[in-house]
Amino acid sequence: MRLVNLRFVYATLIGLVLAGIVHIAAVLAIPRLSETDAVSRARTSENLDHPQPIYTVATGDEPSPPEAWLPIPDPAVAVGVCAYDLADGPMRVSARTGPLSLSLAAHARRGAFYAVTDQAAVRGALDLVILTRAQYDEALADDDENDPSRDVRIVAPDNRGVVVVRVIAGLPSQRPGANAAVQAVSCTTDMPADDSAGKPAAR
Amino acid sequence: MSLAIPGSPGRRSAAGDDRPAPLPRSLGRTGRLVARVWRKSSVAGLAVYALALGGVLGLASADWATRGGYPFGGVKVGAWTAWPRAGAANADPYTRAVNARRGEIPLAVGEGLLLTAAVDDQGQALDATCSYRIGGGTPPARAWTLTVAGRGAREPGRPAVREGFTSTEVLRSADGRFSVVLAPEVQPGNWLPSPRDSGPVRVALRLYDTPVAASVGSLDRESVPAITRLGCAS
Repeated sequence: MRLVNLRFVYATLIGLVLAGIVHIAAVLAIPRLSETDAVSRARTSENLDHPQPIYTVATGDEPSPPEAWLPIPDPAVAVGVCAYDLADGPMRVSARTGPLSLSLAAHARRGAFYAVTDQAAVRGALDLVILTRAQYDEALADDDENDPSRDVRIVAPDNRGVVVVRVIAGLPSQRPGANAAVQAVSCTTDMPADDSAGKPAAR
Repeated sequence: MSLAIPGSPGRRSAAGDDRPAPLPRSLGRTGRLVARVWRKSSVAGLAVYALALGGVLGLASADWATRGGYPFGGVKVGAWTAWPRAGAANADPYTRAVNARRGEIPLAVGEGLLLTAAVDDQGQALDATCSYRIGGGTPPARAWTLTVAGRGAREPGRPAVREGFTSTEVLRSADGRFSVVLAPEVQPGNWLPSPRDSGPVRVALRLYDTPVAASVGSLDRESVPAITRLGCAS
C-alpha cells in the first residue's frame, strides 16, 4: 500500500512539474498562435491605401459601430490600423497634421516598437517609413547626400505588423473630424519601381 | 559481523511492514480486482495520470492567468494603477498573451499612458449604485480622457449617454482643477452617469502624449485625481 502511495505522490509531483512546463509554454505560445490579436485581425486592410477604421467615435445620433473589436475603447479617440507586410516592400505612412492631435504607433506581434505624435511633424507632415534591416541599408545607400530624406525610418523587428493611427476628439463637435483625420492618413507600400521612378523627379 | 546479526531481525521486520497490507474484507471481490488491476497497470496508469494532470492543470492555469486584465506590470498610484509597459515591446509574456487574446491595441510608451481604478481612495470597490467624486489634477499631458465602464459587454437596451470626459470639455474651477461626479442620478457640473444599474465599475484615465509614461515612478498620490465615495443609494 505504501509503495503504491509513494508512486502516486511521485506521479503527482511529476504532473505538477509538467503543469508548470505546459503553463509556461502555453502563455508563450498564445501571442504566436492567436487569431484574435490586432496583427492577425488587421490583415484584411493590407491592400488599402488608408487605415482600416477599427474604432470610429460616435457622432450625433450615430453610435460607434459594433464591429469594433477593441475591448474597452476610448470613446473620444478614433482608431485606425494599417497592416503591413514588409516582404512586399517598405511601408510608408504619411499624415498631415491638423487641428486634432494625432499619434502613430508601429506594433509588431511582440508589442509597440515605435510611436510618434504629430508634434514631431516637420512642416505639417509626418512621414514614417517602416522597413526591414536590409531595406534600411538599401535606403541609406540610395540616399542623396545633397538632398537628405526627411522620412523617419524605423527598422521593424518582424515582417508583419500594424501601424495604429489615433486621433483625439477633444469636443463632441470634433468627432466627425477625428474620424475623417484617421481616414486621411495614407499607408502605401513603397514599390522598388516607384522608388527608382520617384528619385529623379525628387532631384 | 557480530553487529550485523542483531541488526538483521529488525530489518526483516521492517521489510514485513512494507508488504502491502491485506485489503479489508468489506471491499469484496470487485475491490480486490480493482486493486489487482491497479497494481498491475500502475506504471502506465500513473504515467497517464501524470500527463493528464500536467496537461489539464497547465492549460487551465494558463487560461486563467491570461483571461481578463493584465496579471502584473501595474504600478499603484493611490487608487489608480498605471500600466506603463502594457504596449511596450519588452512587455512580460502574460501581458502579451492578454493583449493577443483580447485583440487589444495598448497605448505605446510614446503615445500615452493608461491608468485604471477599480477601487476608491479608501480601497473599497467602485460600485454602480454609489456616487463618487473624481477630482483634482492630472499628471502633465497634452490631452486626457476619463472614462467609466462596467465589466463585461455593454447592456444592449441602455441609451447611449456620456461615457467619459476629455480634458478639453471638462468644466474646471478657477484654479484649473476639475471635479467629476460619477453617480447614477443626474448631478450638477461634470456628471458622469454610472454605466450600469448595479455591479462593479472601473474608471480609466488615459493620458495622451505625456512625459510620465517613461517615468511612472515620478507619479504620486497628489498628481492623480482622487476618488472619494460620496454615498450609496442602497
